[in-house]
Amino acid sequence: MILLESIIDGIRDIKDHLGRTLLQLVGIILGAGSIVATFSLSVAGKTASMEYYRLSGGIQKIFVWNRPTGKVTLDAKALASKGLTFRDAVALKRDVRQIDLVSPVSQQEMAVRYREIEKQRQIMGVVPGYSPMNDVHAARGRFITDSDIQSGARVVVFGSERAQEFFSTDNPIGKTVTINGTGYQVVGVMEEKYFSFDQKRNVMRWMNRQIYIPITTFFTRRGETLERGKVSYMNLRMIDVKSHEETVDAIRKVLHREHGVTDYEVLSRVANLKRNEQNNRMYDMTFMICGIISLLVGGIVVMNIQLASFNERVREVGTRKAVGASPAQIFGQFLAESVLVSIFGGFLGLFVGKVFTDAIAALTRDPAIITPDTIAKALIFAAGTGLIFGMYPALRASRLNPIEALRTE
Amino acid sequence: MTALLEQPMESKAIIQLEKITKIYDAGENAVEALRGVDVAIEEGEFVAVIGPSGSGKSTLMHILGCLDTPTTGKYWLDGQDVAELSPRTLARIRNQKIGFVFQTFNLLPRATVLKNVELPLLYAGLPGDERRDRAHATLDRVGLGNRSKARPNELSGGQRQRVAIARALVNNPSLVLADEPTGNLDQKTGSEIIDIFERLAGEETIILVTHDPTIAARTERRIKIVDGLIVDGELQDA
Repeated sequence: MILLESIIDGIRDIKDHLGRTLLQLVGIILGAGSIVATFSLSVAGKTASMEYYRLSGGIQKIFVWNRPTGKVTLDAKALASKGLTFRDAVALKRDVRQIDLVSPVSQQEMAVRYREIEKQRQIMGVVPGYSPMNDVHAARGRFITDSDIQSGARVVVFGSERAQEFFSTDNPIGKTVTINGTGYQVVGVMEEKYFSFDQKRNVMRWMNRQIYIPITTFFTRRGETLERGKVSYMNLRMIDVKSHEETVDAIRKVLHREHGVTDYEVLSRVANLKRNEQNNRMYDMTFMICGIISLLVGGIVVMNIQLASFNERVREVGTRKAVGASPAQIFGQFLAESVLVSIFGGFLGLFVGKVFTDAIAALTRDPAIITPDTIAKALIFAAGTGLIFGMYPALRASRLNPIEALRTE
Repeated sequence: MTALLEQPMESKAIIQLEKITKIYDAGENAVEALRGVDVAIEEGEFVAVIGPSGSGKSTLMHILGCLDTPTTGKYWLDGQDVAELSPRTLARIRNQKIGFVFQTFNLLPRATVLKNVELPLLYAGLPGDERRDRAHATLDRVGLGNRSKARPNELSGGQRQRVAIARALVNNPSLVLADEPTGNLDQKTGSEIIDIFERLAGEETIILVTHDPTIAARTERRIKIVDGLIVDGELQDA
């Protein structure tokens, strides 16, 4: 009840001295603003990364690629190793029980021709698993199938941008294109993939610029056997992301058994995400510290003004004490005023934070989202500042000797 | 001696001071503001405390008003020994048993007349509608029922002091303490304020501190204090 009266008093005080209150609150406004900006940018960054991962096969994806050892002396087994092969893909699928999908990819630039258009374009030899692995599906016709793999069929599937490039308005399905002098029948066109962090650049555009043929056909054309077929990189999908470290270890063990040398690299998206999070934490911390320093300065200003206004109000405190306000009630009243005025500053800080966020987002082209959680955090920090820095003035007011207070002119 | 330390049950005294001393310990030279004051005031009495400045009458007022505690001695207020209570308990006693009227009114400038009068009830923890009802009723008693929504700066000095009197009465105190209540008012207005106290006398116990002999003359009893001692505490003959 007394708290309510104090709040009403506090609101009246803000209204009566709006200019002074605003000056008093600059620190808190900026502090709350920085906090809003920090969280908005960091939350949006995380959300956007997660969304990108989701749209491109999820965090259960694992990458395996060739990386020569760089060692000068190699033993016989190491010398025999020719990097990642189709055989490795088969071995991984067979021996690593923590994964449910393996997608080896062989890629190379080849001459692609349709009627009078001929261009050097990257061709990917893939298996049907490529489609679920990367969450990219045929929009028209179909993707590479198991029977294409078994028969080494001369079929080709175009990414959406490549289809546009070669066929323009023609329907590509059923048409024949020439790749390095051999004819292939177009059986499918993939959907268009789109994701942007800044509403401008499509970070999934590379997916639209692929041309896919069965990996077996790819090996045959390159004169390699299926066993020895060289793989540029592989994607694997783990069943349970919680055991991502185990899974990566199991993959390394199988590959080491096959190669006898570590001429490959294995990285899971989960591990990658963790590393990014650590980097982001540094960035967030820097911003947070700026915000907290602003709040500290703001708190000290609030304390000073409270002490100054308290000197003006010594008589009022004396009167309140004379009519029976207990020290605790006076303490509560003064503290409530500090907290209230700080929350008011926090509210104004939300608007400043919105301006900060928009400005930074426009400058860096990073995404920004202001969530209710962020708003709550900024207000709590502001209120906390008022609470901490209101303590001392409230304590002084509560301990005021009423006789002295009433004697003050 | 033992009888003096016990509560005097047979008496109707609302205030009983026994051997009250107050020593202000300002370093080496301690000041003896009160040097053993004995006084009893009965319910419904209208008393003036008079004396030159520096005589100790302010100190006596502060002790009577539970704003300060005596160095030694006993103070029974309405049957309760209040000489050695904590600041928190003293605040509650001030809230429930004492009403103050000050020379400079001491109204809260930003609050309405009604809110000012409600203030003691607020600290007593009464619910809002009961506070309003009692504040309105008390304002009617001092003839300001129609100004409850005004701010203190919209009122004349006399009206402000009447608001302060209403604030002092609103908690039905055992004792109303008025410290130079007419000191900031012109003679006519001051006289009107004393009229109010005269009307209240009998219903309320009123102690009025003044240095104005014409005002003191209108009370039923005068306590004269000089040099920290009461020199004349007798009932005035009519």
